[in-house]
Amino acid sequence: MARHKFNGGIFIKNPYPIDKIKIVPAPLPSKVVLPLQQRIGEEAKPCVRVGERVFTGQIIAKTEDDFCVPIHASISGTVVAIDKQLTPHHSGLKSGCITIESDGKDEWIDTNFGINFLRSSKKTLIEHIQKSGIVGLGGAGFPTHTKLNNLKNCHTLIINGTECEPGISCDDALMQNYPQEVMRGIEILLHICGAKHVIIAIEDDKQVAFEALLKYLHNDKIKLQKIPTKYTSGAEKLLIKALLNIEIPSNSFAVEQGVLCQNVATTKAIFDAVELGRPLVSRIVTVTGSAVETVDNYTVRLGASFAHIVNLSKPNTNLHSVRMGGMMMGVDVDNLETMICKITNCIFVNNRQKPIKTQGCIRCGQCNLVCPVNLLPQQLYWYAKNENIDKSLDYNLLDCIECRCCDYVCPSHISLAAYFVFTKALHANKVKEQNKVNIARERFEYRKYRLARNKKEHAEMMAAKKAQLKQKMADDKTQKDKIAAAIERVKKNTKNNDDTSI
Amino acid sequence: MLDSVLIFSLLALSLGLILGYAAVKFKVKGNPLVDQIDAILPQTQCGQCDYPGCRPYAIAIASGEAAINQCPPGGQEGVDALAKLLNVETLPLNDTYGETKPEHVAFVDETLCIGCTLCIQACPVDAFLGAPKMMTTVIEDECTGCDLCIPVCPVDCIHIKIIPSTLTAFASNIDEVKNG
Repeated sequence: MARHKFNGGIFIKNPYPIDKIKIVPAPLPSKVVLPLQQRIGEEAKPCVRVGERVFTGQIIAKTEDDFCVPIHASISGTVVAIDKQLTPHHSGLKSGCITIESDGKDEWIDTNFGINFLRSSKKTLIEHIQKSGIVGLGGAGFPTHTKLNNLKNCHTLIINGTECEPGISCDDALMQNYPQEVMRGIEILLHICGAKHVIIAIEDDKQVAFEALLKYLHNDKIKLQKIPTKYTSGAEKLLIKALLNIEIPSNSFAVEQGVLCQNVATTKAIFDAVELGRPLVSRIVTVTGSAVETVDNYTVRLGASFAHIVNLSKPNTNLHSVRMGGMMMGVDVDNLETMICKITNCIFVNNRQKPIKTQGCIRCGQCNLVCPVNLLPQQLYWYAKNENIDKSLDYNLLDCIECRCCDYVCPSHISLAAYFVFTKALHANKVKEQNKVNIARERFEYRKYRLARNKKEHAEMMAAKKAQLKQKMADDKTQKDKIAAAIERVKKNTKNNDDTSI
Repeated sequence: MLDSVLIFSLLALSLGLILGYAAVKFKVKGNPLVDQIDAILPQTQCGQCDYPGCRPYAIAIASGEAAINQCPPGGQEGVDALAKLLNVETLPLNDTYGETKPEHVAFVDETLCIGCTLCIQACPVDAFLGAPKMMTTVIEDECTGCDLCIPVCPVDCIHIKIIPSTLTAFASNIDEVKNG
């Protein structure tokens, strides 16, 4: 058991428990839709055309942006559309997507480019991980290669198998079914980061997964550690606090403090990419909720629709509300046609319920007690409500991890976290705008300076030329004589002309 | 009696010297009020306020020459912010100077461009890239959306392009948040 702990957090019972966790392979989807926008960075640019035939694992879109990974076709078939479609995002905005229709053959690209990691340099491996499209599969989708590249003096590698959000069991399933792959993945990460210790953190309610991993634990550096089941213990900074008692400062990242944190599913994806040469084209997704008959985990190709796997769990015919991700931090989506992407760890299909009416804040202070990052949500709420960005920042708005613990305990059912997300977005836009304004000001000032300088230079040049010409005239005696002769000639001519005309 | 006079005149002299030195050493360059006003203005440099850019307008406001409601790109929010800074009553935006348009940038239709460079000369922030008889284009990140290039184009190949909202720059409406 971990010796340390963080403040706040809540214990929530899994509302839809299952006895035996298994992984069901979902059939190949007939069509996949792959979004081009990733969590951060710019939208990837398609490098295939409509009508082109693609193989599974082929790169179909990429970007120069250092934060981004290329996008791979998850089935073989024909590209049928490159257009804007709805993606699972709380904005409900459309963004660029590539649609591929399957030919049912699932023909892979040549996957024999797996590499021997022990003989490869750190740089090669990180590049390979980026090329294989690996991002954090825990739910946030932060690009793995960025983490690895920014790593400084790594002393501890933490493998996050906590899966603290109630209801999700995809990581649990993965650890039970692929313990060997996870362990091999850890060896690869260890080779890259050169850490002295590895801690695999598992919540104490996942006994089977713990035992499965224990069977393959043959490295002295690796330690399996149980931590108490509590929601938000899986958040990177809090997990580090609980395991190592190191507090990561608010404007710093764990990698900068020498701690690398990776999800177990990401670790397995790294194994697949490095040892088998397979890019990330599928993932394990939990389907759960009050409206489905069986709660199960499915391995499914990325880009398949939610309906593709939800139908395997036999949903009832009521009206549903669908949620991607956990019951706490997930995103509500409109319908089951939404595509599964790299961050889709779970799909909640619930019977639609009447929304609970929110009431005014009574300043009970419950939210202050549960906030795992020690903020004062109720105070922040007042500032966020009035769109007061500066004051919100004073109360460390940017440290909010949007875990929604405060929403969960609020007796007035206020969606506090939604306010914080909103204010954060306002702040981000303001910063962006301010940068743009500063650039415009600078360029305007520079143009003014440039025009003045041009004018001055031009005037100077003209003056210099004039002076030079004058000097030349003054110096050149023959020129003077020539001019005098010419004048004389003209005079003479005119005189002659005058004479003849008379 | 003489002592006191001496002491006080010495004191006055030394303090005067210090003050004189400070006045030279820490002299405020420029007008700080102009900088504060300039910081609020949107830096579109569009000249719709009848001044050749945001800074000249800021100077005019600081000297009391211009009203605070002549900046359409800044919108009513900008007017309110100026009123707050200058501690005066806020005014409604004067629509004779133009109306607030959605955020946009200029876009050159490259098939029509003849490379006359008139737009390059008109641009207040040097956001155009081109040369005589060469195709011209706009550096989108640096365009302020002032529209000064549109009237000068002899072949009307410059259009405005509204910036679409993207997932990464999304902020929901506060009312939606309040209603859950």
